[in-house]
Amino acid sequence: MVFESLSVPILGELTLLDLLVFGIAIIVVLVISRIVGVYLKKALSDRVDPTEREKLIKVIQAAIIIIGVYAAFPRFDINLADMVVVGGTIGLVVAFASQRIVSNLGSGLFLIAERPMKPGDNVNIGSFSGTVDQIRVLSTIIKTYEGVYVRVPNEKIFTSEITNYVANVARRFEYTIGISYRSDAEAALRIIRDLLSSHPFVLAHPAPSVFVDALSDSSVSIRVFIWAPSRVWWSVRTEMLWTIKTALEEAGIEIPYPQRVVTLAPGAKIEVSHVPGGEGPA
Amino acid sequence: MPTGTRGQLYLSPAPHLSVFGRYPIPFKVEESGIRISVETSGTFSTYVRQTPTGRAEKKLGFADGDLLVNPVEPVHLPQEVTGMVEFHFLPIAIRPLSEIRVHLLFPVEIGVFSGTEDTYALVDVFSLARPKYSLYGTPERGVITRHIETEVYGDVPPTRPLHEGVFSLTINNTSRDWVWVSRAVFESSSLRIFWGTRVAMSGEMMVFSRQVGETWVNKMPPEDGMTEAVRVYPTRKSLIPEKPSYLMEYGVGD
Repeated sequence: MVFESLSVPILGELTLLDLLVFGIAIIVVLVISRIVGVYLKKALSDRVDPTEREKLIKVIQAAIIIIGVYAAFPRFDINLADMVVVGGTIGLVVAFASQRIVSNLGSGLFLIAERPMKPGDNVNIGSFSGTVDQIRVLSTIIKTYEGVYVRVPNEKIFTSEITNYVANVARRFEYTIGISYRSDAEAALRIIRDLLSSHPFVLAHPAPSVFVDALSDSSVSIRVFIWAPSRVWWSVRTEMLWTIKTALEEAGIEIPYPQRVVTLAPGAKIEVSHVPGGEGPA
Repeated sequence: MPTGTRGQLYLSPAPHLSVFGRYPIPFKVEESGIRISVETSGTFSTYVRQTPTGRAEKKLGFADGDLLVNPVEPVHLPQEVTGMVEFHFLPIAIRPLSEIRVHLLFPVEIGVFSGTEDTYALVDVFSLARPKYSLYGTPERGVITRHIETEVYGDVPPTRPLHEGVFSLTINNTSRDWVWVSRAVFESSSLRIFWGTRVAMSGEMMVFSRQVGETWVNKMPPEDGMTEAVRVYPTRKSLIPEKPSYLMEYGVGD
């Protein structure tokens, strides 16, 4: 009885049974593609870069789904050649009706082809800074440094400035370190150069540059330019600054606060008093 | 190679010769400030390594078998950021269409492996040498390299095997010009390190012009009686094949 009701044509020769079988076939295909994906993830985990691995798995999963859908279509007794024509026409209509989506799609394809960034890169796009999580066909997922999920339409990315902090294998950063006029600038330069030379990730070539840059109001300004591998530049930057500061202090080189020398005219008097609990000299 | 019964304190037969070899668990070995021990406790064991540069302690989920200690590709410390090794030395003038053989020093990194052939797993890497990195080429298209500043020797120099090894490099100038060579860059995935009374590698460099050269590493030991070291690269079972040679496109000199 149930089988008979399922066999009743509902649209042309299409029956509920056909729809059911098609639905089951699609579910089976999806399950198979998922199982294959999990298996590949396990099998390739140590052998392929995670980004490339995800791409490979997605391509294989897409191929399984396409083959599965293609295999399930005969249940509908549909001529695939007709479908291509009809599908193409529908696609054209949909494309015109949804220009934004098409624009995002086109931008996504250009982004994938141009590759200004790849998953894992640290980037700044418009007002968003973070790590690229995924580049999809319509949108790109950014994980901000605060761990927030941001979905940016590809059209917006395509028309925005993209700053990729790790696109190049090495990058430069700099410090300005002020030492007091009483301190030995030559010794400070020597100490900083020795520290840079002993750090593994301060690149030997291009060599770091350390020099007196300016005779400022309160200090002698020493500029330090350092090249480091992009993958570790941030940790090198944070580590070296503190290392330099402590090494200079240990060597008796003063890093002064902003200060001003006041010269009084002969005979002039100045009275300074301090109010206990007050905010400073009265 | 140190010998002894299980759990014995191993001492190298000659100072500074080696801690390299295969040790049945449990064991202790000491040499030149390096102390490695594995102590068993029930079904697992504890690996401890102490060197002047640091200490490592790891739990191993087995209490039998053995550990292998040998030199490995010098690109793992303090953390792996590249797969390239760059030798930098005083410029050598090479005559047109001529070949010379020189010897360079490289820092030794020591790897500790568990398992047997084809299933080796890296337990620890350490070194008595101080690492340094560099950039070969431009920041846009170049490569980060493990930078090795070395003297150039005409004959094999004496070495401390736990600190440095000897790389015997044959430079062949195939161009019709004089070329000054001061750097040689190699793919670390292709490095073959051998050890015996010293640690050694050998390779070749074909110079096509001042700007372009090609390098590769020989897979044969530089001298008889040397053992090929187990490498870290194959233990990763990467699907990316190792590259047999490297094309130096950013110059062979300074």
